[in-house]
Amino acid sequence: MVDDAARVRAPEGEAPAPSSGGSWVEVATVKELARHKKKLVEVAGEPIALFYADGAVSAMYDVCIHKERSLSKGIVMGGKVICPGHQWMFDVDTGWCEEEERCQPSYPVRVDDDGVVYVEPRQRIARTADD
Amino acid sequence: MTDTVVAVGAGQVSAVLARTLRRRKFDGRIVLVGAEPHRPYQRPPLSKEYLVDGDDEDLYLLPEQWCADKDVELLLGTPVTGLDVAGRSVTLADGRTIGADAIVLATGGRARRLPDVEGDRILYLRTLDDAGRLDQLLQPGARLVVVGGGFIGSEVAAAGRARGAEVTLVEMLEQPLARVLGTQLGAVCAQVHVRGGVQLRLGQPVESIVQSGDVVRVRVGDETLEADVVVVGVGIEPNVELADAAGLKVDNGIVVDEQLRTGAPGIYAAGDVANVHHPLYGKSLRVEHFDAASKQGAVVANNILGRESTFADPYWFWSDQYDLNLQYTGHATSWDRVVLRGSLDDLAFTAFYLEDGVVRAAFAIERGDDIAAAGQLVAAQARPDPEALADVDTDLFDLLEGE
Repeated sequence: MVDDAARVRAPEGEAPAPSSGGSWVEVATVKELARHKKKLVEVAGEPIALFYADGAVSAMYDVCIHKERSLSKGIVMGGKVICPGHQWMFDVDTGWCEEEERCQPSYPVRVDDDGVVYVEPRQRIARTADD
Repeated sequence: MTDTVVAVGAGQVSAVLARTLRRRKFDGRIVLVGAEPHRPYQRPPLSKEYLVDGDDEDLYLLPEQWCADKDVELLLGTPVTGLDVAGRSVTLADGRTIGADAIVLATGGRARRLPDVEGDRILYLRTLDDAGRLDQLLQPGARLVVVGGGFIGSEVAAAGRARGAEVTLVEMLEQPLARVLGTQLGAVCAQVHVRGGVQLRLGQPVESIVQSGDVVRVRVGDETLEADVVVVGVGIEPNVELADAAGLKVDNGIVVDEQLRTGAPGIYAAGDVANVHHPLYGKSLRVEHFDAASKQGAVVANNILGRESTFADPYWFWSDQYDLNLQYTGHATSWDRVVLRGSLDDLAFTAFYLEDGVVRAAFAIERGDDIAAAGQLVAAQARPDPEALADVDTDLFDLLEGE
């Protein structure tokens, strides 16, 4: 069974009030993500890969920073999104690739009480090599 | 107490070694000694994107600023001429001697050359300088003959087509890549070349390669191919001379245990030059994979710092040819069954190599999403139900859980 109150992978302070409106865009339901583990959506012209792992939803820019392969065609394993192109591994929360010390852009995500998933199409680099 | 780490060779192993040491707060001296004049760079792009369009975005490994900030010394264009095992020091071509607490031999290899074949249009592809020479000759319409249908040869053929050359690929075996993939999957790769517009000459050895003027004539069977440029890709020879002269054990590379230690305290070897005892496969193996070099560089760094670490990765490598992405994980020299998942016709499949039901390796074209799980199946020596393995609707990780 899907837990409607799926957790959200978002840094502290990022989660807005459900009614804040703004630029949040409805992209999926937790139910369908739980079934398929991932989904490619387009928001404001940007391809965004949604992932569902360990009961939480996250969103990354779909185009791999390495060789522009589609991350939504990859897999999630052990808390990492693995690119199908050359097996670069990005932390599902932050997009950080430990081996290469580079970061895949990610997006704020929220899930409402009905299990609807929203993304704010505002790319962020959650971590840099200096962190 | 480790104060100084010296790496002989300034390629992938040494770059990862230096990065890992500094990430783990090692504050001693790090010296990377490279025979080539170039800053540390990756070799895989030389036969792929760098050859196709000069894309060097990911080519260089250690930015100048990073080396300055992290106090990593690069001695480039500086061959190492001597290794003193007992005294733990290296001697450089310019006469300097550097003492070290740990020495990492990462001397890599050099292209295997065909005997008695000479000419400035007959090239090998191993170094950045090699790639530069090939770049000059690989003009649109140029006739390119590639000798050797391994991964380097296959990638050069594909890159040649991308650059508008007329390409012929010559392979002694029945199919390209047959040594690694077997005849069945090698035939699929042959079709990939045909689809890409490459002429194939298979199952015949090259009798002679002779350059006269600006034309190279390649004799294959009873046919003579004329070429403007020939690339020979017939493997590499490990650079073992330094280790050999120093009295270290050399046998198809520098012999090391699973912690990458030679028989001499404080002296390690890693990457293409190292013949490494592999606990998963139960024997010593020398491979020429970028990813193994990276992981071994990290293992050596950890061991130098006293964090006991073993290289037991099942291996992984990739190849980009035409518009296709190829990946391989594991190590199979013999198998009794190949299980296909996906479609050969659509060039989107993973082939699993099984021996006595155990997954030994997997090869994917455009199914890289299977490879992480496939590597875990290999590492676990799993015996999955072949029907389930073949079914694209099976989550491969579910096949691991049964172990």
